[in-house]
Amino acid sequence: MADLLALLVQSGNSLGVHSAAVATAGNNVANANTPGYSRQIANLVSNPATMVMGNNAVGTGVGLQSITQARDQFIERQIPNALGAQAASESESSSLQSISALDADLAGGLTSTLGAFYSSMRALAQNPGDAALRQAAVGSSDQLARSFNDTVSSIDLARTGIDAEIQGDVSTINAAASQLSDLNKQIQQSKSASGQPNDLLDKRQNAVDTLARLTGGTPYTNGNGDISLALPGGIALVTDSGAGHLSTVVDAANNGHLSLQLTRADGSGPVALPVTAIGGEVGGYLAARDGAMKTAITSLDQFAFGLATSLNTVHAAGYAPDGTTGRSLFTIPATATGAASQMTVNPSILADPRLLAAATTLPATTGDNRNILAMIATESHPLASGSDPISSLQLIVTGFGNSAEQAKAMADHNGAIATHLTQLRDSTSGVSIDEEMINLTKAQKAYEAVAKVISTANEMLDTLMTLKTP
Amino acid sequence: MRVTNQMVFEASRQQIAASREQVFNASQQVTTGERVVHPGDDPGAAGAIIAHSLSVQRFDTIGKAVSAASDEAQLADGALQSASELMTRAQQLAVQMGNDSYSASDRAGAAQEIRDISGQLAALMNTQEAGRYIFGGNADRTPPFDSAGNYSGDTSIRQVEVAPGLLQNASIRADVALKGVGGGVDVFASLASLATSLSSNDGVGVRASVATMSSSVDQISTALTQNGGILDGFQSAMSIGTNSKDAASKLLSAVQDADIFDATSNLTKAQQGLEASLLVASKSFNLSLMDYLK
Repeated sequence: MADLLALLVQSGNSLGVHSAAVATAGNNVANANTPGYSRQIANLVSNPATMVMGNNAVGTGVGLQSITQARDQFIERQIPNALGAQAASESESSSLQSISALDADLAGGLTSTLGAFYSSMRALAQNPGDAALRQAAVGSSDQLARSFNDTVSSIDLARTGIDAEIQGDVSTINAAASQLSDLNKQIQQSKSASGQPNDLLDKRQNAVDTLARLTGGTPYTNGNGDISLALPGGIALVTDSGAGHLSTVVDAANNGHLSLQLTRADGSGPVALPVTAIGGEVGGYLAARDGAMKTAITSLDQFAFGLATSLNTVHAAGYAPDGTTGRSLFTIPATATGAASQMTVNPSILADPRLLAAATTLPATTGDNRNILAMIATESHPLASGSDPISSLQLIVTGFGNSAEQAKAMADHNGAIATHLTQLRDSTSGVSIDEEMINLTKAQKAYEAVAKVISTANEMLDTLMTLKTP
Repeated sequence: MRVTNQMVFEASRQQIAASREQVFNASQQVTTGERVVHPGDDPGAAGAIIAHSLSVQRFDTIGKAVSAASDEAQLADGALQSASELMTRAQQLAVQMGNDSYSASDRAGAAQEIRDISGQLAALMNTQEAGRYIFGGNADRTPPFDSAGNYSGDTSIRQVEVAPGLLQNASIRADVALKGVGGGVDVFASLASLATSLSSNDGVGVRASVATMSSSVDQISTALTQNGGILDGFQSAMSIGTNSKDAASKLLSAVQDADIFDATSNLTKAQQGLEASLLVASKSFNLSLMDYLK
């Protein structure tokens, strides 16, 4: 009688265990598409046997030992770096791909305006006294100057766009760093109170992934299970004691673009964060903004300065039909810095194309085209950089193209690695609906079987209860 | 390998995205006919496109300038031909009227014809093209010869770029050809002298003019020959320029243009890849144990 009652109690407990198994499978199914969710496993264990009828051990049913997560630490440790590298190369590549100002055959781009400038000069050389041709030559000079302005402006606008992206990323980084620090504390508390906090562990992994993707930082697990995060170069962003804080500041030395600074977890700072100390998406943005884009602008400045100086030297030596001389064709700054963005046609020539100096001697006869021919000859003369104008433009475009191509190749390469590792993580930690259906059915069948045991025990008790004394 | 639902969906998403990108890129190549758009597509080709397209433009513009200069030289040739004919007529008149059998009246009529020739010569030497007086040197906005044959142009010889960096003379000096600067004969003065001799029925003077008329004809013939040389130079420059432009165009096309057969073939391949990705995705999504559990 006592054993039958114990069987009922133990069967009742078993029902609860199988219900938990069903609930676990149900939870897995529900979270099949939840980002960062690691599938959970209900670990069942048989209860210790009790001795009955002498030395015979009879089992006492099933217990729920734990509900754990399916995770592969080997794969997971590789993922943050892979995510950081992927995000860095992707953000750099997409930023560089977005620049169309240096496309070789862009309408109104530098290639076409440079060609149009020399074409108009050649047309003018044929008839330098012709007012319409003079107007056309000054117009094409203006277009060339504007093309330099627009090209640099377009690239600099992209750099400003990157600043906005960086600001957005910095907010996300600060939120994720703070969340990681908070989750470290919550997980410690939860572990000491009630065991494995699976959902918190998933959230923490998500925060680590976000930080790795945005900063290229590396997570470290300390002795008590807390996760710290160090930025590239070893500067700590999240420590055991708390989270650091990134902020942006306008860098006057970099044309007013944003630079990063870090307030440490202990509250000290802020200190300037070198570009080598940030990777991931932000690092990729900075690499594009201060790498290929800045190089292109600097090269365009030098090209504009060299070309304008070369043409100005020739033009200033010539004579306008009114006998005046010494005029520059283009107005540029005293040094190459900002030359491309500030290049304009000499306002007096723009207002009066007759001041274009076509002649080389006085009296400046209307048919004297020798100074125009000398200006045309600058097309093949080396500029201060050592290359002629066409080669200079070629070098700028090819250099920028090389950077864009390399970034794209790295993005493809790092993307493939990150995808592979993510797939491996999904393979271990992801939810398979089919598998969960089987687990669900298995738990359901076990539940039904235990219910049958209860029913049998109940019938046996009824049999006992209805026994009559003879 | 354990395959989860997330893997199936994510792999399908990536494969479809990659296939769509390939179809998009292949379509762009087919529709634009261009292989390189962004410098990152092929940095070396992007640089070469700049060099070759500027070469094409340069040869094209030089060709137009040479063609315009050649038109001027053709005009000059026509004018000098006419001048030569006029001077040959003047020479004939000088020889003819040198014979004392001609009366004063005959010589007076011939004198008028010589003055007409002088006027026509001045008009020929004031030939204009596109607003330019082509015999005025660089002083090309005012007529270089007045009706008396006085020259107000300058001594410049215009030059034209016939190939990148290569200049060629594009005009002759009318002051040399007509005014005898540098030791030649002043054609207009000779004509005036002949007309004066004819008017004054000066047979000796008329016969003395025969030699200067002959020198004038020779002088203009020399100018014609020089101008012919200029024309030949232009013809050969235009021919070389056209070839150079064609060569640069071919080089540009080789680096910039998509091979239409390759591009079409790539598009078909990419479309088939996309269809396969979509098919695989739809099949993968349909396979579930849930469909079989009752």
